Amino acid sequence: MFEKKSLERIINKALDSAADFAEIFVEKTFQSSITMQSNNIENAVNNDKFGVGIRVAKGHQSVYGYTNKADEETLLDLANDLATVFSGTRAKKAITLPKMKKGDKHQIKRKPDTVDIKEKVDLVKRANQAARNYSKDISQVNLSYMDTVQNVWIASSEDIYVHDERIRTRLGIHSVAKNEDDMQSGFNGPGGHYGFEFYDTFDVEEAGQEASRIAVTMLYADEAPSATMPVVIDNGFGGVIFHEACGHSLEATSVAKNASVFSGKKNEKIGSDLVTAIDDGTIENAWGSANFDDEGRPQKRRVLIEKGMLKSYMVDHLNGLRMNESSTGSGRRESYRFAPTSRMSNTFIDNGESTFDEIIEATEYGLYAKKMGGGSVQPSSGDFNFAVMEGYMIRNGKIAEPVKGATLVGTGKDALKKIDMVGDNLSRAQGMCGSLSGSIPTDVGQPTIRISNMTVGGRKGNA
Amino acid sequence: MNFDLLFDKAKAKNIEALQIHLEELEQIDFDVFNGELDKHQIADTRKLSIKGIYNGKMGKMSTESLDEANMDQWIDAIIDSAKAIESKDEVFIYEGDTSYKDIPELATSNLDNLSKEEKLKLTFDLNEKIKNLDEKVKISQSFYGQAVKKVTLKNSKGLNLTKKVNSALLGAMAIVKTDDDSRQSLDYVQTDNPKDFNIDEMAEGVVKRATSMLGAKSLKSDTYNILLENRASATLLSAFMGMFKAESVQKGMSKLQDKVNQKIANDNVTLIDDPFMLKSTRSGAFDDEGVATRYKEIVKNGTLTNYLYDLKTAKKDNTDSTGNAFSGSIQHTNFYFKNGDSDVSDMIGSMKEGLLITSVQGAHSGTNPISGDFSLQATGYMIKNGKVDRPIALFTIAGNYLKWFNQISDIGNDLKFGFNFIGSPTLKIDNVVVSGNE
Repeated sequence: MFEKKSLERIINKALDSAADFAEIFVEKTFQSSITMQSNNIENAVNNDKFGVGIRVAKGHQSVYGYTNKADEETLLDLANDLATVFSGTRAKKAITLPKMKKGDKHQIKRKPDTVDIKEKVDLVKRANQAARNYSKDISQVNLSYMDTVQNVWIASSEDIYVHDERIRTRLGIHSVAKNEDDMQSGFNGPGGHYGFEFYDTFDVEEAGQEASRIAVTMLYADEAPSATMPVVIDNGFGGVIFHEACGHSLEATSVAKNASVFSGKKNEKIGSDLVTAIDDGTIENAWGSANFDDEGRPQKRRVLIEKGMLKSYMVDHLNGLRMNESSTGSGRRESYRFAPTSRMSNTFIDNGESTFDEIIEATEYGLYAKKMGGGSVQPSSGDFNFAVMEGYMIRNGKIAEPVKGATLVGTGKDALKKIDMVGDNLSRAQGMCGSLSGSIPTDVGQPTIRISNMTVGGRKGNA
Repeated sequence: MNFDLLFDKAKAKNIEALQIHLEELEQIDFDVFNGELDKHQIADTRKLSIKGIYNGKMGKMSTESLDEANMDQWIDAIIDSAKAIESKDEVFIYEGDTSYKDIPELATSNLDNLSKEEKLKLTFDLNEKIKNLDEKVKISQSFYGQAVKKVTLKNSKGLNLTKKVNSALLGAMAIVKTDDDSRQSLDYVQTDNPKDFNIDEMAEGVVKRATSMLGAKSLKSDTYNILLENRASATLLSAFMGMFKAESVQKGMSKLQDKVNQKIANDNVTLIDDPFMLKSTRSGAFDDEGVATRYKEIVKNGTLTNYLYDLKTAKKDNTDSTGNAFSGSIQHTNFYFKNGDSDVSDMIGSMKEGLLITSVQGAHSGTNPISGDFSLQATGYMIKNGKVDRPIALFTIAGNYLKWFNQISDIGNDLKFGFNFIGSPTLKIDNVVVSGNE
């Protein structure tokens, strides 16, 4: 994209100041998306993004600039502009970049930009048909297909020069079920760090039916009660609670600023013995994986919590300086429009020993949250709130009637301690995570777990 | 860039009509955290979106590599995109309206009245004030951002429009801590004139709010009358914006289908979409299709008067576009509940027992935008005998948004907007299901 000499000149321009760190991030991304509604392909759009971000820092203080007028002269000016913030005696000698490294862990068989749009359209139609045929109650199905080929070149004064190509694809199916009384929806959105071959790794029709199954089940569900009770959260997307309520609080972004409930708690017990949690950006072809993080360091597997003990945070370079810790390869960003910060990759609670049946049987009365919706958390207090997309009551150790409209409320700190059963059926699901450095692909995951008691908010009134 | 050349190239490849939308953006952002500069960002970007009609279908693409040498590629991408589309909807490239409202105030830049150094100082001063107000303040954050956005809209039918908008935002966040609790509060002002920034007021506001929430506990599950404070109400309205859009209605995804000219809310409820509101970057005289925008009361005294339309959906309903085509879909401009007459202090004073809800969380997940159902975590205060009694947290409020429209018994005069240009005054809503764990 840019010659190495050119990148060196830009970095060295920024270091011609009291700054001790300079980084250049070059991005070229092709994105194609297709949307289908009412049985018609509505949109098929190609977007290409191109731009350059330059970051200059002294200690942990940084400035960031980005532009897509990317000739060397403009970039030298930008580097110079940014460096003026750190006026003073020169701190670092001019650098030369090492040989460029390119990652090759996530093999791609069919690059999306080589696949004819007709083939992508056919895929979307297959999922649409299956979702619609599931039940006569399905009144609408919205589908969104996307693939992206993101090429990044990252060079910095930390002796880093890498090129990474992240190829990702995802199919989202949103089914709506309707009858005279009500309207309910269900969603399923498989994705991965794959090319188009991803759609040969699972049954696309089943994926469509799954979204409809949820919508129809919820159409005939009763309102959930409001009460405090044991809650069994199923595997896969159920891990969103850990992601939101604990994962974000383990990111250096909040830890370094002492804004997290888990600041200063390393090697302390923060959860029940049953909880081991991992953030692994190296899982082959996983949605949240990459060869390098967005600061050019190799992605890693990080054990965050081991048997309830806090073992590691997720740390980016600059927050690492604040915390006196090394980067864990966790610097990520949506695009050149964002400076990187510590973020999750594929984050999950690890397998335990109980079977799914044992967990249900051991629960006299409670809520079974089979599919979670999204949620949010207040970072300083850890208060969270999650919607249950598909829920059932558990009565006498058996899964009973479906319930809709349930919300789970609690704090991350408490919930971690109240996990009293962990299943052996770990699975992961895909999501988009929004935070300071933009919206990035992340996997959430867990086996089926039980939280001994939790506030359930529903509309039925108080149980 | 020579767009006429692009239009000629498109014509030569049998594209009936072509339109470009060029957005140029210059931004500056500062973020000060506990007295230290935490973020300092400058940006200069352009994005070109192109759409064209080919065989009756609308092809679309966008690019950030603005090089005339790529023009042929862009044309091919438009044709490929159009070929994939099956929708039988009629599509339009608009020749333009006869007149567009002149809003000179929007283009006038007051952002340079303060120098970059003065803006930085303002952000630092705000940070300092927050920190010094109360020893319980453990984290003090302040941020300033400004943007100058220029939009050029041109098409092969002769439309040629430009607009320039300026905006600045100053915000503050405080986290206060005691041994057993921690609370945070956020406030911000969005304007086009730095004169509107009052850092004393803002600092006092966030600190007072955060400290008054310390020790918040849950409450007994019950049915309460609530005051939904302005910003909390705006958050909730944002989650349900979709139902006012013609697209959702036509696709059977809005419960407001067939409800035009019917009562959907109490008489006191009026909802406005105002594209001419000053000091908003969302304002402007034309939308992304080149249609002249207009002021409208979407709900007037409780009656639904219209939906928000773009050209395509308007044609289907045999009506006119309301000038709400933005970013490839139907969007509001500045959308808000009209102010009522009541002072919030009187609304509190006249409440024997109830809740003041100051914020709701998880509006993107705890709501069903189609059915209108929601169940959201909230924080606020208990009201007893006309007085704020104690802070409350970790409870949910639940209901159905359209049913709530008929439970609004009073409206405050304190209209306030959120980041997304959706606003509301404080609303009094009767008989709300609240679940807590006390």
